[in-house]
Amino acid sequence: MSRVTNITDLFKLVLKQGTLLSAAIAAFGSAIGFLVAGDAGVNSALIGAAIALAFNALTALSIWAGSKLALGGFYALVLGGWLLKIVVFMILLATLKGASFIHGPTLFFTIVACVLGGLTIDSIAILRARIPAVD
Amino acid sequence: MDATTAAGVVGNLAAIGYGLAAIGPGIGVGLVVSKTIESIARQPELAGRLQSTMWLGIAFTEALALIGLAAGFVFAA
Repeated sequence: MSRVTNITDLFKLVLKQGTLLSAAIAAFGSAIGFLVAGDAGVNSALIGAAIALAFNALTALSIWAGSKLALGGFYALVLGGWLLKIVVFMILLATLKGASFIHGPTLFFTIVACVLGGLTIDSIAILRARIPAVD
Repeated sequence: MDATTAAGVVGNLAAIGYGLAAIGPGIGVGLVVSKTIESIARQPELAGRLQSTMWLGIAFTEALALIGLAAGFVFAA
């Protein structure tokens, strides 16, 4: 794997690998969810993978877009995005909780698997990247 | 009589869980950002590298928040 040398390539790499991983986890989770809870398990795995992917991608997107701004803009975008995500996530979970088409444990474990997988991809990509100190 | 009734607690206990799930990562992100700002103030020429490293710190604290908030789905009474 060639080493990325700028933040745009890093962002693209993380997004591409994160999407592939989430798709794989969604497929695997759907299969297990179907065995455990039928259609509700499939729905939960797909929703869980989509939520986790959206959150990982938004973090990467905010860092990438923020890196083009001045320092104040960078922090406003990254921290504002973070705050917004948590609020949206809380509302989403409050809406989904108790819904008949959701199987709770499948949703939880799919989210955890995608988040941990996303973290692994982020870590490897950032540690392998060789971003020059001066652009 | 269960513990909640005995303690005189009313309302949804999950609300306390949501609060706890948010407070830890909140402190974590605050620390990550404050240290990055401090580092950029010391060495402005390293801003690009520090920002991409900060991404990792934010991603890890955010993961805790997501897992904490989603935990209600498995550990609900």
